[in-house]
Amino acid sequence: MGSGKVVVVACAGMDKALGAVARESVFKVVEVLRPGKTELVCLPPLLAGVSSYSELVKTLPVVAVDGCAERCATKLVVKTGGKIRGRIMVPDSAKKHGLVPKSASDIGSDGAKLAEIIAEEVASIIDKLAEG
Amino acid sequence: MGMASNKVGIVSCSGEEIPEGTISRIATRLVLEKLRPEETVTICLPLFLAGGEDERAFARVFPTITVDGCEKRCAEIGTKKYSGKPTATIVITDILKKYPQLKLKSRDDPSAEELVLAEKVAEEIAKKVDEALEQKRHPTGREE
Repeated sequence: MGSGKVVVVACAGMDKALGAVARESVFKVVEVLRPGKTELVCLPPLLAGVSSYSELVKTLPVVAVDGCAERCATKLVVKTGGKIRGRIMVPDSAKKHGLVPKSASDIGSDGAKLAEIIAEEVASIIDKLAEG
Repeated sequence: MGMASNKVGIVSCSGEEIPEGTISRIATRLVLEKLRPEETVTICLPLFLAGGEDERAFARVFPTITVDGCEKRCAEIGTKKYSGKPTATIVITDILKKYPQLKLKSRDDPSAEELVLAEKVAEEIAKKVDEALEQKRHPTGREE
C-alpha cells in the first residue's frame, strides 16, 4: 500500500451486464495494464467500516468506474471522504462505441471488448494523475 | 428490483479483491438464473449500501440470504445495519474449510475446480432459499 499509487474502484454489477463490464475492466487495469501503480479497493468494506480501505481512499487519488446511473462507486467513495480524480460511466462508453454486453453472468465478446476499451481509458487517467 | 411475495433476496459480496468474492458472485448468479429463478432476486450490495431505498425496503420485509467472500462479512454487516438480521448467512472461506486441498487462484478467470466449488456454494444457497420460504409459510417453528 504505497504512495504514488491510484485507487481503482468499480461497481460490483451483480445484476447488470454493464456492471460486470466495470468489474472486468478494473481487473485488466490492476493485473495487466498498471499492476504496480494501482490499488483495487472493494466497495462494500468502505461502508462496513474496514479502516485500512477507507484510509486508502482518503489518502490516494481515486478512479471510479460506474456501471449505471446510480453511480454507487462514486457515491461510496465520496461518502467515505475520498476524492474522485477520474470517473468512467460504462453506459456512456457502451453507447459511444456501440457495444452491447450480453448479460451479468457472461458479458460476451462485445462486453469483453468494452472492458478492454474502458481499461485503457482508466490506465490513461492513471498515467495523467502520475504526471501531476 | 421489483417487490413480490414469496421471494428471497440474495445479498452477495462483490468481491473484486479476492477469488472468494468471485465464487460468491458466480454462485449467486447460478441460483438466480438456474437453481431458483422464480424464488430469488439479487440485492445489489453497493447500491444497498449507497442508500438504495427499494433494496433496503425489500430486505426489511422479505427474507434475505447474505453470501460473503471473506471474514469481513460486508454483506452480512450491511444487511444488519440497514435492514435487519439476515435469514441465513454464507461465508465462502468457511465453506472452503471443507475442501482444504482446494486453493483459489483467480479472481477473474476461475478454474474448472473453482467453478465446481461455485456450484456447491450455489446448492447451499438454494437449500437456504427453500428453508427461508418454508419458514415464511410455516412460521410457528421459527427461531427468534
